[in-house]
Amino acid sequence: MPNLIEQALEAALVDRFYIGQILVRKTNGGGFVISHRDDQGRGDLKLFQSAEDAIDLTKFDDSGNYRPLKTAPNLQHGWRLQLAILDDLRRSLDYFYPGRLAIFVSWKSSQLQITPLRETLDRQSGMYRIAAKISDKQVNRVVGDFCRSDGGCLRTVLWKRDSRGTVASTRLPPEKFDPAFDQTLTPGSPPPATTPRLIPLLCQEPCNLLVAECRNVVKDETER
Amino acid sequence: MTIDRANSALLIVAHGSTVNPDSSAPTLAHAAEIWRRKVFAEVACAFWKEEPSLRDALCLFDPKPIREVYVVPNFISEGYFTQTVIPRELELNGRITKRSSGQIWKYCEPVGNHSMMTELLLKRACEVAQDVSPAQTTLLIVAHGTDLNENSAVAAKREAENIRALAKYGDVLNVYMEEPPLVSDWKKLTKTPNVVVVPFFISDGLHSYEDIPVLLGIASERPVSNCRAERGEIFRHNPHRINGRSLFYAPSIGTDEGYRASSQI
Repeated sequence: MPNLIEQALEAALVDRFYIGQILVRKTNGGGFVISHRDDQGRGDLKLFQSAEDAIDLTKFDDSGNYRPLKTAPNLQHGWRLQLAILDDLRRSLDYFYPGRLAIFVSWKSSQLQITPLRETLDRQSGMYRIAAKISDKQVNRVVGDFCRSDGGCLRTVLWKRDSRGTVASTRLPPEKFDPAFDQTLTPGSPPPATTPRLIPLLCQEPCNLLVAECRNVVKDETER
Repeated sequence: MTIDRANSALLIVAHGSTVNPDSSAPTLAHAAEIWRRKVFAEVACAFWKEEPSLRDALCLFDPKPIREVYVVPNFISEGYFTQTVIPRELELNGRITKRSSGQIWKYCEPVGNHSMMTELLLKRACEVAQDVSPAQTTLLIVAHGTDLNENSAVAAKREAENIRALAKYGDVLNVYMEEPPLVSDWKKLTKTPNVVVVPFFISDGLHSYEDIPVLLGIASERPVSNCRAERGEIFRHNPHRINGRSLFYAPSIGTDEGYRASSQI
């Protein structure tokens, strides 16, 4: 949904905004500059100029390890992506955080369908069918570990554990479920004096990686 | 097929991987090429193991401007994913699904079923062994070949039969990693002085970088590097001289430039 996404980006782009670990700035010439939030003020950044350059920039972390989860807090440093038009910006952000802008727009327009973990697990088949056997206690632990923002995933969790509305994990802080909270910050710490607008990375349904993790827990249990 | 460009979107669906950085590359390249050609108003990808997920894809197309979404599985054949996982995750009811918004989702055949596959296999075989006589060469099409991938085994057999019927190569065989005829038996299965091996997979990964080379006897068992250049090294040492014969090893068919250029519904 490029048009709606571009409208949302324009609204956020009064000057600059954060999305995940990225800072997006508007240039005087009408273009855009994207960089890692940690790299503000660095003068030694490698310059890229194509939206498709983002594919490789997102693929590996600083140590060269593959990043299967793009919303993990391990985006590599040291680059600066300069783009001419809004469509390039939209496409590149879709490489950095695939699908997240569309999810954000759906959420803003109250169209987003949110699916509890149990529903996702119950519809699995093949090798993942066994994942549905995970206990509530195990879910609490796995989600608390796998989805945590410090080292796990920077998405804001919107889904519940089950259709009764049970919180996904009591091990996660309340801020993990708040779209207004910047997931790169430590909950409870004083917020920065000035901060750009934020486009949150919203999670409307447990991802396949979490389903796989639930499966591993059940398998470990049954093989023990 | 006529596509209303202004109101239609393409969704390319692929497996993706949590361990192989190259798994999604052919799918992303497909999408970028088709987007460049302006065939559809929108082009997007979705993955089983990467992002955006198949479930995320439900939100990717605004139903107001986009009235039709063409879903194309970037899979080598029909099988568990095309028949079970993709329809379930995308909430498809069959070939045509009408959403409550009125948006129509059209579920297409996997790209491996395209009639150009035979031509592309021939092109790839010709490119990898340019200076040899096809009449003195056996072409091996390598598929996975387990019960779970039964359909890919059938598709590889179909392609081998198509090429054999052209009577261009000395012989053409479909071989498998995990069931007979085994790729590891290539020395017994082939009689010609030259052998060309083309992996029948969508993307390069563990199978094409490591498993098949080990089964062929052109590589030893060691972990695949994270470096793209090193991963592709196995394809740059043709021909491999084994027992006085020449073996030419190609990258997976889905990575072929022509495969991408032939992208069409």
